[in-house]
Amino acid sequence: MRRFLNLLNGPRTLGRGLQFWVGFCVVFVIAASMPTFTDSFAVTNLTFFLVWTFMALGLSVMWGYGGILSFGQTAFFGLAGYTYGVVSINLGDAHGLTWVALLVALLLPVLLALVLGYFMFYGGIRDVFVGIVTLSVTLVFETFMAQTAGPEWTIGDARLNGFNGMSGMPPLTINGGESNLIFDGPPLYWFVLALVLVCYLGLRLLVNSRFGRVLVAIRGNPDRVEMLGYNVRMYQLSAFAIGGGMAGLSGVLYTLWGAYITPSSMGLNAAALPIIWVAAGGRKDLTAVLVATVALTWVSQQLAIYGNQYALILMGFLLLCVVLGAPEGFVVSLVMFFKRKLALRKQLA
Amino acid sequence: MDYLFQAYAVFYQFADAFAFLTLSGLGLAIIFGMMGVINLAHGEFIMCGAYVTVLSARAGLALPLAMLAGTAAAGLVGYLLERHIVRRLYQRLFDSIVATWSISIVATQGMLIVAGPSIEGIKTPMGSFEVGSLSFSVYRAILPFIALALLGALYWLFVRTRFGVHSRATIQDASMAKALGVDTRSIYSKTFVLGAALAGLTGALYAPTMTAVPTMGTAFIVQSFVTVVVSGADVMLGLAPSAAILGLIQAALTGLSGQLIGQIGLLVTVIIVIRTLPTGLSGFFLRRNGEK
Amino acid sequence: MKGSLFTGMSAFCLISILVAAAALMPAGARAADPIKLGLLEDQSGNFAIAVIPKIHAVELAVEEINAKGGVLGRPIKIIHYDTQSDNTRFQEFARRLIQQDKVDVILGAFSSASREAIRPIMDRYNQLYFYNNQYEGGVCDSNNFVTGAVPEQQFSTLIPWMMEKYGKRVYTIAADYNFGQISAEWVRIIVKENGGTMVGEEFIPLSVSQFSQTIQNIQKAKPDVLVTLLVGANQASFYEQQAAANLGFPMASSVNVGQAYEHRRFKAPALKDMYVTANYVEEVDSPASNDFKKRFHAKFPNEPYINQEAANSYDAVYLYKAGVEKAGSTDQKKVGAALRSGDICTTGPSGKVCIDPKSQHTSHTIYLVHVKADHSVEIPKVWDNIQPYWLGQVGCDLSKKADHNQYTPSHLPKK
Repeated sequence: MRRFLNLLNGPRTLGRGLQFWVGFCVVFVIAASMPTFTDSFAVTNLTFFLVWTFMALGLSVMWGYGGILSFGQTAFFGLAGYTYGVVSINLGDAHGLTWVALLVALLLPVLLALVLGYFMFYGGIRDVFVGIVTLSVTLVFETFMAQTAGPEWTIGDARLNGFNGMSGMPPLTINGGESNLIFDGPPLYWFVLALVLVCYLGLRLLVNSRFGRVLVAIRGNPDRVEMLGYNVRMYQLSAFAIGGGMAGLSGVLYTLWGAYITPSSMGLNAAALPIIWVAAGGRKDLTAVLVATVALTWVSQQLAIYGNQYALILMGFLLLCVVLGAPEGFVVSLVMFFKRKLALRKQLA
Repeated sequence: MDYLFQAYAVFYQFADAFAFLTLSGLGLAIIFGMMGVINLAHGEFIMCGAYVTVLSARAGLALPLAMLAGTAAAGLVGYLLERHIVRRLYQRLFDSIVATWSISIVATQGMLIVAGPSIEGIKTPMGSFEVGSLSFSVYRAILPFIALALLGALYWLFVRTRFGVHSRATIQDASMAKALGVDTRSIYSKTFVLGAALAGLTGALYAPTMTAVPTMGTAFIVQSFVTVVVSGADVMLGLAPSAAILGLIQAALTGLSGQLIGQIGLLVTVIIVIRTLPTGLSGFFLRRNGEK
Repeated sequence: MKGSLFTGMSAFCLISILVAAAALMPAGARAADPIKLGLLEDQSGNFAIAVIPKIHAVELAVEEINAKGGVLGRPIKIIHYDTQSDNTRFQEFARRLIQQDKVDVILGAFSSASREAIRPIMDRYNQLYFYNNQYEGGVCDSNNFVTGAVPEQQFSTLIPWMMEKYGKRVYTIAADYNFGQISAEWVRIIVKENGGTMVGEEFIPLSVSQFSQTIQNIQKAKPDVLVTLLVGANQASFYEQQAAANLGFPMASSVNVGQAYEHRRFKAPALKDMYVTANYVEEVDSPASNDFKKRFHAKFPNEPYINQEAANSYDAVYLYKAGVEKAGSTDQKKVGAALRSGDICTTGPSGKVCIDPKSQHTSHTIYLVHVKADHSVEIPKVWDNIQPYWLGQVGCDLSKKADHNQYTPSHLPKK
């Protein structure tokens, strides 16, 4: 138990100690009880914000902790989304088969990540080249999928439908004889929230463990770690697979949220977004990334609603200020700022 | 005789693809290839050059002068951005992603608000010529040679002039260069401005052949990044071969199987080339010649 | 420990504030009186060129209707969210309009992808929705009314006319996605029906902006008519490049000129001998059109062009008004039933436009627009009252049976 707590409170993540976890529980309880005191739109909107956090967390592990900048996380996002669509449309939503579709949709991106990662890391590709190769992969996917509009592009009963996007996939369903529990609205929200909790805690344990220590060392200097006897490429591959799997999770949940997936989710603009959230929030810390993703997706939506055509300009300026004023990411910088303030006050007291 | 005509047609397609890749990558080769700043606003420098060129030409300036105006405008914008934003990012190059991406959004949206969703364009100069039964645009046939001339000029600049040598020294090891008396701050600024101006020149050169919209930078950005990265660490050495190889394959695939295969083929080629030569083309050349 | 407490609490204060604020954002206007018209259009991004006139047209229509007393005595209030040419924004804001703002009708979407992103949401909440863009056709959806022109209206008029005037050898270049592919299929079918030959067909990904190889292929094939179904700013560069290479073939399109006014944006003679079938262009010289232009320019003096989508959006607002008046209420089910009852029409800038009950699409006056060498426009032919007959023909009948699908010539309704 003590070891578990140590891992949870480890050195590579911000926030530890009893007070932090009490605060965390408070926030989680508030979040979980949201559906009882807000309207249905707020619930689906919140679900939407939470859906993106998985991709960001995965990117944080891969880039913030492992130093691997992948510009193509959206490839896994799209693959998972389309896989869920194809499998669930073919299997239907009886007998809990949508959960089978979910599992397959999570499995395929991990497999792709393993294959692509093997191709890259065991082929000696590093640094910025990883970014370009992954970007090329996601753009190939997008270009290819955009033209699958014709009737010949059908897998079983599921039409890929090209640029217009695939829709009509059933939501997650738990079949209970007389009535089914359909994961839409509050049930979907709780499901996503639970996943956020599990993934966040799980990744916290991971990066604070020995795996995390080696990963961070690799980020600093891969050759040195290699010479210390570690199989660097295996660690990089694992981090990449985790990143890919998390991006896939985001993809599936997005498809479930909107009952729709389209190739533009794998395009250049979509590919840049997770990098922006992670970089702006503080890529080296999971909590910072989690907070930043929710905050930035919310802010950009608010700007779009109230800012009209100035929304994008305001967003750009905001990010510019963040990156210039808060080099470690705005969440991390905020936390550091408060810490310093308190330390100063303690000293002067 | 017909054989020669066919051969010219094939050569024209290759040269056209080569020119587009080279010119797309030129400014980025300096800013990213040499300085390491991941400039996601590269497309917007191109857009700036194109817009100023079009507006100047429509205001009555002769086309070559209008192109110079476009280049200068992009250089000026580059100067301002370097001084106020990019300068603070040299120690943390990953952060240049967020910074330049933000600049890109502000520039695109700003141009939309200021100039509207589109402006009336200018005509491609110099008319057309015929080879056999096919006709080609004179201007586009010349572009590859302009690209080569620019590459040559850059090579001369960075190898044979004082500024060039100082610039390469500063980028390679700033503290050493400073110790030897080089004004590194000014060199960084000038090099960045050069990169921005070159991007503007690309916009100026392609402005008469494309529609002028605020998002026109997106037509260049992917090609520029892949060309520059494939060329490896020493862009002067690797840019031309990189554009040549990628251009050859893209032109061949487009000619044989259509635009879709050409686009996908370009990206797949990038993946294969990087896998085969993980340090890029120039890394491969340098290693072969014994340097490292 | 105090430091840790503060750190922890401030970090999580941040999270909880954001989470709470996100949930508790104040809703839009709460007045029960106005009729709420939700507008989902791209004011920024790639599609802004063709979409900004649509937004202005809706604003003009609403202003006119409100000035005359509104609909059933109630004013119309527009709630517009800028969807930034981003499908995900369409999804977010569609839900916001339906669940939070509780609008009575939604107008919007430019690309078919954005329409398809929100159509499931419209269907889930039985939300009345007008799609006001030309597109590839085939949407047979009880909640969806379409004022945009469809292939049978645009191609069955254009292609036979071009073939008769210029010859029977046709080459098509099309954007490589649903709209381009399905439109090209229609062209193929109509060319064959009229005894012509397809001498070539090329599909071009949306991101392509350099057309040297395509131009060469066209030259080698030597067609009589070049059908261009190009979409987006990147692909529009084709026109300048083909003019520079002196391609010289007469061109036919259903999508250019009428939407993004390429003949104003490109220097002459890039669009020389381009023929387009559109249900409206600014150059139409009829009393209805001229009056519309006068009113439009009075409110929006700097509008670069009033395109067919603007006319469609304007008509859509008036069609909705007619539906509400016939139904006697804004209840969406009743209005929908009224709209497909068969006699809902409006006379707008393009002429008389009526809703076809079977497909819920509108009939159109089709203008053949010819762009001359100096980019001035003449209209050599006008076809009146062309019905959107195809969906009804293949088995879509929304007046009798509900449906929520999009069909294509190779994906027909099950009989």
